[in-house]
Amino acid sequence: MNSTDRMIKHPVRWLRPAFVAGMLLGAVSAPAAEVKPALDPQADEQLRRMSAYLAQAPFFSVSAEIWQDVRLGSGQQVQAGRAIDLQVRRPDRFHAEMHSTRHNRALFFDGKSITLLNRAKNFYGSIPAPATLDEALDLACERFGVTLPLEDIIVSDPYQSAMRKVVSGIHLGPVVVLGVPCDHLAFSMGTVDWQVWIEQGGRPVPRKIVITYKDEEGTPEYTALFSRWDFQTKLPDQLFTFAPPSGTTQISVAEIKSRIETHKSGGTQP
Amino acid sequence: MNKITSLRNIGIGVAALLATLPLLYAQRSQSSGRGAPAPWSEPAHGPRSEPTHDVTQHSPVMVDRSAHGSIRHVDAHIVEHLVEVHRDFDVHQQVLIHHDRDVDVNRPRFWHGFVFGARRHGLREGCLHLFVNGVPFFYDDGIYYQQAGDDYAAVYPPVGATIPVLPDGAIEILAGNMIYYYAGGGFYVQQGGGFVIAPTPLGVVVPELPPGNVMALLNGRVVYQFNGIYYQPVFVNGVTQYQTFLP
Repeated sequence: MNSTDRMIKHPVRWLRPAFVAGMLLGAVSAPAAEVKPALDPQADEQLRRMSAYLAQAPFFSVSAEIWQDVRLGSGQQVQAGRAIDLQVRRPDRFHAEMHSTRHNRALFFDGKSITLLNRAKNFYGSIPAPATLDEALDLACERFGVTLPLEDIIVSDPYQSAMRKVVSGIHLGPVVVLGVPCDHLAFSMGTVDWQVWIEQGGRPVPRKIVITYKDEEGTPEYTALFSRWDFQTKLPDQLFTFAPPSGTTQISVAEIKSRIETHKSGGTQP
Repeated sequence: MNKITSLRNIGIGVAALLATLPLLYAQRSQSSGRGAPAPWSEPAHGPRSEPTHDVTQHSPVMVDRSAHGSIRHVDAHIVEHLVEVHRDFDVHQQVLIHHDRDVDVNRPRFWHGFVFGARRHGLREGCLHLFVNGVPFFYDDGIYYQQAGDDYAAVYPPVGATIPVLPDGAIEILAGNMIYYYAGGGFYVQQGGGFVIAPTPLGVVVPELPPGNVMALLNGRVVYQFNGIYYQPVFVNGVTQYQTFLP
């Protein structure tokens, strides 16, 4: 009797080891969410405090200077920068202006649609969006490939949003960022590390965020330096409602949905 | 006997597990975008199939996560950096991917100064003398010229022209399984030891307009024309880019 015959005639005998293998496989491939992150309680507490402060703010404005590592085709690594001015009004409004030497863009979300405006080229495009900030951020990213600037401080629960894939976090102690005493926290998601410097005292806002992409060549970093936090100045509706400036032309916004589906069908998209 | 059977079964089970692990790893590598290279991360080997005209269906997702600086969407649509500085390339050449970035690293190239019909009295030292279907051209870092009396007039990139080295700052463009290098309005494909200008593929998205384009209105829409091909602006991943088409 060859081995195939034995498998057919005595299925239990070969099913048993297969079951063992399956159990072992199950253990190996258990979802990462079940693994409790190694969190320094002080880092956890500080991040929760910052998150609660931002989440409870009905509206705020902030400016940020962004520096990111860019790898040229020659292999040389350089830094490029831009500035962002952001206004948020919970639960369903944001407005961002992004400026650099070459670019001048804006994003508007009024609870109904997200509008992209290229001020330098006088183009704008709109996409219908769900009513909440979190849903709008996810839709913009997942369907249109638009990741909104500084979205980690915009979401309704920054702690939950940022900690979803964190595997470890530590409190590195006090550090002064641009003259402001802060607490320095560092978190790891495995292939990506991120750090946040949170202002000490009664207004625990982020003063600096660094994201390090360890799995990319040259381990590029994205740095945001925050300034001009304002939780007092009221933000009227008109700030978030897009009105096409004269001379602008509407263009389409390409959807990437079909590409995601293509990836999913190939099993390459989580 | 039963103990021996159980041990044997466990042994078979472990063997089955070990046999399966590579598959599991491969699947994980694929899902994380690492490990086995994605089809679009393959180095350029020239044309492999006809380009598609449906950019949304076949183009790679071009969000560069290190540009958007998001923790929430840190793994969203990761795209490996497509810059492939080929071994054949001059190391001083830079092939730039079109960045989804608000950065200021793209410096002007020689071919950015192309204006159709613009005349030069002389050409720069080192320019090439080419023949395309028997017609003479002169080539200088992304710009083609034809003799015009005592002068040289800039002309559109002639399809079929072959150059040994890409123009400085050529941009890698993917369309389906095709890899083009885009510079000065020309779409180059690698062929043998050089690069040949292909007909402009329709439906592809380029990060910048060809130099010397002419803006026009077509059915009330702003479009740009270059060498008989139209380019319409479109937001791709939040960035203004331009898709080729024919009305």
